[in-house]
Amino acid sequence: MLHTRPRGRIRAHLFAAAASAALTLIGIAGAAHAQSREETLRVVTGGQVNSLDAGMQGITRDGFGLNWNIYDRLVSWDRKKFGDGYIYDFDKMKGELAESFTISDDGLTVTFNLRKDATFHDGSPITAEDVKWSLDRAVSLKGPGAQMGTGSLKSPDQFKIVDDHTIQVTLDKPDRLAVPNLAVVFPVILNSDLAKEHATAEDPWATEWLKENQASGGAYKVSSFKAGQQVVLDRFDDWKSGPLPYFKRIIVQTVPEASTRASLIERGDADLSIDLQSSDVLALKGRDAVKVVSIPQINAFQMIAFNTRMAPFDDPRVRQAVAYALPFDDMFTAALYRRGAPLWGAKWENGLPDTGKFPQRLPFSTNLDKAKALLAEAGHPGGFKTSFSFNVGSAATSEPIAALLKESLAKIGIDVTVEKVPDAQMGTLISEKKLPFFTESAIAWLPSADYFFRVFFQGETRWNYGSFVDEELAELTAKARYERDPAAYETAARRMVAIAAEKAPVVMLWQPALDAVMAKDIDGFTYWFHRQTDYRSLTRTK
Amino acid sequence: MRTIAYRSARRLIAALPVLLGVLVFTFVLMRMLPGDPAVFFASGPSSGEAEIEAMRVKLGLDRSVPEQLLLYLGDVVTGDFGTSMTTGRPVLDDLSERLPASLELTILALILALGTALPLGILAALMPGSMVDHAVRIVCTAGVAMPTFVSGLLLIFVFYYLLGWSPDPTGRIDVFLIAPPEVTGFLLIDSLIAGDGEVFMAALGQLLLPAITMALFVLAPLARMTRASMLAALGGDFVRTARALGLPAWKVVNVYALRNAILPVLTTTGIMFSTMLGANVLVEKVFSWPGVGSYTLDALLASDYAPVQGFVLLMAGIFVIVNLLVDLAYGIADPRVAIE
Repeated sequence: MLHTRPRGRIRAHLFAAAASAALTLIGIAGAAHAQSREETLRVVTGGQVNSLDAGMQGITRDGFGLNWNIYDRLVSWDRKKFGDGYIYDFDKMKGELAESFTISDDGLTVTFNLRKDATFHDGSPITAEDVKWSLDRAVSLKGPGAQMGTGSLKSPDQFKIVDDHTIQVTLDKPDRLAVPNLAVVFPVILNSDLAKEHATAEDPWATEWLKENQASGGAYKVSSFKAGQQVVLDRFDDWKSGPLPYFKRIIVQTVPEASTRASLIERGDADLSIDLQSSDVLALKGRDAVKVVSIPQINAFQMIAFNTRMAPFDDPRVRQAVAYALPFDDMFTAALYRRGAPLWGAKWENGLPDTGKFPQRLPFSTNLDKAKALLAEAGHPGGFKTSFSFNVGSAATSEPIAALLKESLAKIGIDVTVEKVPDAQMGTLISEKKLPFFTESAIAWLPSADYFFRVFFQGETRWNYGSFVDEELAELTAKARYERDPAAYETAARRMVAIAAEKAPVVMLWQPALDAVMAKDIDGFTYWFHRQTDYRSLTRTK
Repeated sequence: MRTIAYRSARRLIAALPVLLGVLVFTFVLMRMLPGDPAVFFASGPSSGEAEIEAMRVKLGLDRSVPEQLLLYLGDVVTGDFGTSMTTGRPVLDDLSERLPASLELTILALILALGTALPLGILAALMPGSMVDHAVRIVCTAGVAMPTFVSGLLLIFVFYYLLGWSPDPTGRIDVFLIAPPEVTGFLLIDSLIAGDGEVFMAALGQLLLPAITMALFVLAPLARMTRASMLAALGGDFVRTARALGLPAWKVVNVYALRNAILPVLTTTGIMFSTMLGANVLVEKVFSWPGVGSYTLDALLASDYAPVQGFVLLMAGIFVIVNLLVDLAYGIADPRVAIE
């Protein structure tokens, strides 16, 4: 039986005992059979895991995080040091279940050499057949299929078994995001024999069964799963795809109240949480009771979006005027306590950025005179009326943004009504392109410039927050995707960033930091694109 | 005894139209709420129109509302309450797993509340206008005026964070303990069945703070109701007669007055119980209690129709049963009252 530190145990007993004197006698004995909880990690989160299968539509972020730890993918990314923690290195891929991989000279064939000694949790060897079935599944399911398609992985015909431990992926065009897409949360390698046993004619990919069961060979196996409450993971000691993780057991608990999560960590009852309120993080840091690893979310950004298909925001000059009237610095302080990386205030020469990386700072900064001039030029010298929306779920950061925006825009004559929208409704309104002006945050798993511009700056999906249409941008992104010459790609990417600044369909504010708060003896926290914890890399120092 | 059973059964059958009404009303109401669940759930990083449409078909939202309602009614009759999108599981499984947690909490809270409210109310009624009466009034006002999440957080702050007396306020049992095999779903009972004293104490320790929080909230109506009806009973002719006959004071108060005064208290208790069961959402949130309230709130925020509909139906059913039990208790307290 596992145990807490004896101190907490006895206290808990005393409390209960005091309350019911009649039963005191059975109490305190508990402290005796204490096994150290040194190798157990207790994580508290505000979210909840709703499925073990990342392929389920509507899976939560915590669900992705769990999936990351219980399944292997063919490849993954390396990590680099950042402060007290690590950050994933998008430019450096490494094998996970694949020992190595090679890309042919024309970029059309990728060959993966699988580890020969790797097994699933049930002891059966992991073969190319399992890999093929798993990749077929990833491209065939609705949601995952759409993601895989962004790397030109679209049909099961593209995956070929060469021999038991070799699998080949063929592409129509040398898509730069093909291999990275094999490292996201969807193309996990499943135990195909086990999964197929639970597949049915209507459900050939066993989605129903895999929601609550695992067919996996990852570093951790699920030993108990209560949807929305708690997941317990045990280490798979025969794991071969990386160094054996330190923690033998991980307990992930849903604790909805943020202040309770903070107290749990401060009192040493829990070890790690990544979703505390900024104010609590600062207070905990101030009391020096815990370790805070703060990492900017390099693949995310908070923005102010305009509906570029609705007057008056269909005029780029109006959007620019608003951008110059935003009190960036005050917003950053009020909303985030300055925890993150600013995305405003760049100094560009000749209207072009130095690099093609995205997101990066754009050349906007607070300049009310310029804002007024632009507004006059666009034919609104006296300003106009509009409404600004944000979703209730993000009120902690959006409320101060909205208040400061309203105040500042009033100075250039724009009268803003602030509207709070329930989360479920916000998604609908954005999808239907009915909001004139709002704030949202965006995240792209693959932080590559052409990917960002493809997903967030064009098309008819919800993710095109600015409802933006631009021919030049469409051409650039379509081409850049298959561009094999790094210099040519860089040139194209710089032009894309410049368009984002000129046309301003959205104004980027900042990249919020991910604050991971943990016990002082926890080490090795890594920031991943899915913004969840990789338990495999964590250790407890003595 | 047979007549009671027969009458109870008739009462339950008579409640069916009410349940049907509740079901239809909730169903229509949910669909009138803004927010499109298909968009909400098909919100993966690369979901477009096609994915949203597929989700709409999967959820059955592509059909007309009357058609959806008929399908839902058909499912409910066969015991299928649909699947929750937030947890990915059948609603019936979720609710039946979580209901014991809510019931255990509510019942203990009610016991605590009654255990405090009855003596306080009686005391206040025996000495109206005295210091005791005022003190009781102050306690009750404070209890009812403080929202449950405030008193909950306050109790956590004092008893867990500052004093460290209480176990960490997360869930029904210490995470490092192994829960007893599930028999009734009530941890206190299951641990006793398993003969595991340690788990029993741990579960009781976890229960205490949330139960006190909820008890504080319902203390006021119960105590006030006890006081009022005790005052009325104490002023009655039969009490005067009993006193005049020289019966001992405790007997007059506890047997003659209290037995007459208890009827309205019983009604209030019944109403309180049903209300608490549904309204303890905030307490469940604050204490990470895996009950039906917090479950339904999550579902509501996510426009997840099935769990909300299932929950409302469940609550309506419990309301019917509790009312029946209250009426039965009436018959015991006052044999002149029988359920009809």
